[in-house]
Amino acid sequence: MKNQPIIRILLVDDEETLLEYLSKRLLKMGHTVKAAFSGEQAIEVANREHFDVAIVDLKMPGIDGVETQKKLKEIQPFLQCIVLTGHGSTETALKSGQQDAFQYLLKPVNYDDLVAIIKKAYKKKSQTQEVKFKEEVERIYRSGLGAHGIKKAIAELNKIYGID
Amino acid sequence: MESINPLLSELKRVKQKLASYKIELHQARGYLQCILQNSEDMIFATEVSGMLISFSKSGEKVLGYSWEEVIGSQVKDLAKDPAAFEQFLNTSRQDGSSVQLDLAFQHKDGNTAYCNVSLINLTNREGLRIGTVGVCRDITLWKKIQDDLVRIDRLAEMGRIAAGVAHEINNPLAIINEASGWAATVVSDAKGIGSEDRQELEKATKEISAQTKRCRTITHQLLGFVRDSELSKTEFDVHELLNETISFLKPELKHSPIEINTRFMPGPLNMNSDPKLLEQVCVNLITNAIHAVREKHGDKGRIEIRTLKTDSEVEIHFEDNGIGIPQENRQNIFELFYTTKPPGKGTGLGLPICQNIARKVGGKITCQSNVGVGTTFTVHIPT
Ligand SMILES: Nc1ncnc2c1ncn2[C@@H]1O[C@H](COP(=O)(O)OP(=O)(O)O)[C@@H](O)[C@H]1O
Ligand SMILES: [Mg+2]
Repeated sequence: MKNQPIIRILLVDDEETLLEYLSKRLLKMGHTVKAAFSGEQAIEVANREHFDVAIVDLKMPGIDGVETQKKLKEIQPFLQCIVLTGHGSTETALKSGQQDAFQYLLKPVNYDDLVAIIKKAYKKKSQTQEVKFKEEVERIYRSGLGAHGIKKAIAELNKIYGID
Repeated sequence: MESINPLLSELKRVKQKLASYKIELHQARGYLQCILQNSEDMIFATEVSGMLISFSKSGEKVLGYSWEEVIGSQVKDLAKDPAAFEQFLNTSRQDGSSVQLDLAFQHKDGNTAYCNVSLINLTNREGLRIGTVGVCRDITLWKKIQDDLVRIDRLAEMGRIAAGVAHEINNPLAIINEASGWAATVVSDAKGIGSEDRQELEKATKEISAQTKRCRTITHQLLGFVRDSELSKTEFDVHELLNETISFLKPELKHSPIEINTRFMPGPLNMNSDPKLLEQVCVNLITNAIHAVREKHGDKGRIEIRTLKTDSEVEIHFEDNGIGIPQENRQNIFELFYTTKPPGKGTGLGLPICQNIARKVGGKITCQSNVGVGTTFTVHIPT
């Protein structure tokens, strides 16, 4: 358990009580958790902080789940979104945002399943990110910048990719 | 002798007239016979007392009785509610005629026939009532279509309401689920609880989780029922699908020697349809079979799954030697929420879902059953 990765999770749902318990359970497992009670709030938080996985409720007042996860991916392209729905229309939802969401799940979700899927999403995120990061780093080295320039460019990259 | 001549010519005139009346009468009778024989409507005549004196050919079609069987009996006895029919007769007697829709008659085979009935007074030359004529249009089929439409409409409405409720319930259910999960975590970490109390609490949180799961099954099944998912057809092997479904259900059979045998056609059985939806059908039908054999044999039941391919369709038979389905229940089993199982075991959603899916892929489900012997459900899917 101890060498499990710490995953930065963003929870987005207008059901505050649900987020309260869900975040307690995920925190207890050692993950970093932030809760947002609307799509707007989530976007605001994502502008400030990096996350690995977002869990987004489909049906929310204001910006709905599909829209929210699209916006989140614009801000943080490597972020993986798991979309929850209390609705039977998973398939329709899937169609409208297939290319963006990591997975759609029906509420109430089985907690163990959810944790497994979060881990899978995290893995995908790290892999795609790593590949891209390596490409970028290589590009910087090839670009012929001086040592100082390279250091600066990489610091810039680290910020974009949320890597410390 | 002189005086006889006018009499003779008068007689001749009368004779001629009589002959022409005879012809007219003959024609009228032929005309009437033609109507009584060929009209689609059931036409009858009674004398004043209501006793049948004429019954048209089509009456046989509408009510199943021949002319000989009913002549001499009371017309009201053909009706489902003789007293109401008598009253209807009386109204027509007073008013000269009357019309009524949807009058129920008793068919010889026990079914109900519905007619649109017009009654007209039959009078003699003096205008005295000598009986009643009835013209009855068979509207049984029309009525059935109407009833079906109402039923389908109600079913769809019920489905919509149920789905709405299920959807609303999923959110609080999700909270209960997370809260109980959290409680379980807290309990397992808590110090200062006696081991007995800890056990009690662990048991209680487990129970909450289990029951939430049960609710979840129901809401998801319901939502699955009304979900208008589009067909996604692909090529797949029916045998592989069945084998996977059976192994998926194996946990259900753990510790119970219920036998599931397969008797498939040789080789793979490829077809182009929606495997996800068909899997749902198989799961439901096998689950029902398991319940049926378990109820009869305890755990020593047998289920056999067979496949068959004809020119136009693939058939999957699910045969069990369970309790069977009594005749009187057979027309209900495909109804939404119809179940004979105790609460917690049955939702009454399985078969309606199966039927919905079968229709969606252009097929159907048929059922044969003998009480105490077993049941076979057959899924027919066009290829
Ligand atoms: N294989 C079977 N043998 C006997 N009865 C059956 C079988 N399958 C279905 N039934 C009857 O049909 C009813 C409706 O089935 P279903 O729609 O699947 O709902 P449920 O299984 O939840 O009761 C059952 O309650 C049972 O009475
Ligand atoms: Mg069932």
